Amino acid sequence: MAIPILVGAVAYDARVVPIWEGMRDYFREAGPPIDYMLFSNYDRQVQALLEHQIDIAWNTNLAWVKVHRATNGTCRALAMRDVDAQFTTVVIVRTDSGIESLADVKGKRVALGSADSAQAAILPLHFFQQAGIQPEKDCTLLRFDLDVGKHGDTGTSEVEVLRALREGKADAGALGDTTWIRLIAEGRIDARQIRPIWTSPGYCHCNFTVLSDFPDLDGQSWTDALLGMHYDNPRWRGLMDQEGLKRWIRADTAILEGYQVLFDAVERQGLANNWQF
Amino acid sequence: MTSSRFPDPSVRVEGGALGVGTGLLMVIRETLDPLPASAVVAVRTSDPAAAHDLPAWCRVMAHSYLGSDSGPEGPVYYFRKGEFRPVAAGQQPDWGIRLPLRKGQELHTRDWMVGRVGQVPEEALTTTGFAPRGAVVEEGAPAFDFAINSRDAVWAAEVFDLYEQATANQWDASRDIPWGLLQPLPDPMERAVCQLMTFLTENEYSALYVPAKFIPQINPQFNEVVLFLSTQMMDEARHIEAFTKRALANGGGLQYSAASTQLSLKTLFDQHDFTSASFLLSVLGEGTFLDLLRFIETYAPDPVTAEICRRARVDESRHVHFGMAHVRYYLTQDPAHYGELLATVRERAAFMRSVTEVSPRVQEALAILAAGGLNLDRLAEGTGQVRALMDEMHVHRLQRLQVAGFTPEQADEMSRLHTPNFM
Repeated sequence: MAIPILVGAVAYDARVVPIWEGMRDYFREAGPPIDYMLFSNYDRQVQALLEHQIDIAWNTNLAWVKVHRATNGTCRALAMRDVDAQFTTVVIVRTDSGIESLADVKGKRVALGSADSAQAAILPLHFFQQAGIQPEKDCTLLRFDLDVGKHGDTGTSEVEVLRALREGKADAGALGDTTWIRLIAEGRIDARQIRPIWTSPGYCHCNFTVLSDFPDLDGQSWTDALLGMHYDNPRWRGLMDQEGLKRWIRADTAILEGYQVLFDAVERQGLANNWQF
Repeated sequence: MTSSRFPDPSVRVEGGALGVGTGLLMVIRETLDPLPASAVVAVRTSDPAAAHDLPAWCRVMAHSYLGSDSGPEGPVYYFRKGEFRPVAAGQQPDWGIRLPLRKGQELHTRDWMVGRVGQVPEEALTTTGFAPRGAVVEEGAPAFDFAINSRDAVWAAEVFDLYEQATANQWDASRDIPWGLLQPLPDPMERAVCQLMTFLTENEYSALYVPAKFIPQINPQFNEVVLFLSTQMMDEARHIEAFTKRALANGGGLQYSAASTQLSLKTLFDQHDFTSASFLLSVLGEGTFLDLLRFIETYAPDPVTAEICRRARVDESRHVHFGMAHVRYYLTQDPAHYGELLATVRERAAFMRSVTEVSPRVQEALAILAAGGLNLDRLAEGTGQVRALMDEMHVHRLQRLQVAGFTPEQADEMSRLHTPNFM
C-alpha cells in the first residue's frame, strides 16, 4: 500500500478533527490516501513543512508568505477553497461616527484583530497606508491580539472588534468579509448602529502548500482528487460546510497574484524582521 | 429595460430599503429557490451597505457577483446563481394544497391524505427522521434508529377514523365524573369496589406502558398510528387517574395487587414485537376488559363507579378496534402471520402455566358486587354471574378473533389459552 501523503493543518477549533477525519475518509476512496497531522500554530506547521515532516501544509496567506520567503519562492500552492480567492477585508464604522470614507478615520479610534491576522490587522493597516493614512500616527489603534499564532483563524479577535464598535470603544474596525457576512446574514448586527463603508480589493487567503521537491505527479493526482469533492454529494457536504466552502479550486498563476498585496504589506511593515524562518 | 452591461436577469428582486442584515436575503431566497443554476438575478435596494454585503454574500454562497448599475430608484446588483444542486435534488414540496372542510367547518385527519402526504410508504427510510411525511428532506440527514419501518408492522386501515374519534371523545376525570353523588357504602361492598379499582388500575398501567414502549420505535412516516397510540396513552392515563380516585374517594383505599396479576402484566410488557403486543394487549386483553367493565358498570353500587367504567369502556373499545384493524391488516399481508400470532399466544400461556385463575380477591370482589353485598342469600347467585361473565368473555373473544381474520379453530385455541387474568 502506498505511504499516505501527510497533510498538516492547524487545530484552530475542535471541528478541525472531524474535518480532517472526513478528508481522510474522502481520500481513501478518491485517491491517493492521506493522513493528517495537527499543529497548535502556523509557525510549527511551517517549520514541519520546511523540515519535510509533512508533505502538504494547509496554510493561511501569512504562512504561505513565510514558506515562500524561506524557500526563495520555490514552494508551490496546489489548491484552495473557492472562498480563498477574492477574499476581502471590510472596514466597518459606527453609524454615529461621522465616518463616510477611509480618509475619515483620521483622528478616530480604529479596532483591529490579531497582529498575525492578515484580514483583520496586517492588510487593513496596509490598505489604510495605501489610502494615505498613517494609522499608527493618525488614529488611535485598538488591537485585539487573541489566539496569536493561529493567524486569525479562530475569529475571536474579529468578534472583539465588533464588540468594541458596539460598545462605543471604537469608531471603526476591520475584519474579514466571511466573518462579517456570516454575522450580518444571521441578523446579529444592528444595521442602525454598525455599517460597512469600504471593501478591499480581493486577495488570497488559504492554500495547500508543498515544497519544490514534492513530486509534480503526486501534486497533480492529489489536487485532481480534491477537486472531485462535490458539494452536491451529501456525504461530503457537512465537511465542506464546516470548512466553509462550496468548491475546491486549483491555485493557478493568475489566482496566486492575489497574494502579492500581503507580500507588500509584510515588507512595508517590516514584519519579517522578527520571523524565525 | 435592458442593461447594456449585464445579461438579462431571469428575476428582478425589489428590495426596497432592505439590507443583507435586515431581511433582503429572505426576499432573495424566495425567488432564488425555484431558479435553475446560472440564472441571473437582479436585486434593487437603496441600502448603501448592500454594495459591500451582497458581493461578500455571493462569494460565500458560491454565486457569481456580476456588478451593479445605478438606477433612478437606487442601485441594482446582479449575480448569477451558483451551480450546486438544491438540497433535495429531484423533489419539490407540494404547493397549492387546500384541504376540504366537512360539515360544521371541520377539518378531519383522514382528509389530509393528499399529494405527498397521502403517500404512506411500504418501507420507510430511517433518514427521513422526524420530518413529517410529505416534507422534502435534505440529503445527508442522519439515520434514526427506528426499529419499525415497515407499514405492515403497524398500519391499520381504520386508523384515521379511530384517531378522529379518540380526539373527539377525551374527557376529564376531575370534572366529568359525578363525584358528589358518592354515598358511604357498607364496608364489604366498598372493599370490593376498592379491590376492583386496584386491579383495574394496575392493568391500565400496562396498557399505558406497552404503547409507550413502541412509539419511539415507529418511524414517524406512519404518524397516524403514532398519533392514535398517543391518544391511547392519554386514555389509559385518565383511567389510572379515575380508578385510583374512586378507590380513594369513599372511605376505602387501594387494596391488594396479586403476584399472578403482576406476572401476567409483565409478560405483556415484555413483548418485543408491536403486532404481538398489540394483539395480546388490545384484541385479547382490552377486548376481555370490555366485558369486565360492563359487568362492573351493571352491578356498580354507586353511580360514580358505573360512570367511570362506562367511560373507560368507550375508550377501551377504540383500542380494541385499532388492535383488530391492525391485526386484520397484518394478516392479509401474509398468511404466515397466523402462525406467528398463535405461537405468541402459546408462548405466553406456557410461561404463565402457574396462573390458573384470576386472583381470588378479584373474583370475590366481582361476586360481592353481583350479589349486592356480602349477602348470604345472593352470594351463590353472584358467583354464578361471575362464571357467566367468564363464559361471555370467551364467546366475545371468539367473535373478535374471527373478525380479525382467524378461523374458528384458531380462535378457539387462542381464546382458551388467553390468560385467566383477563388482560
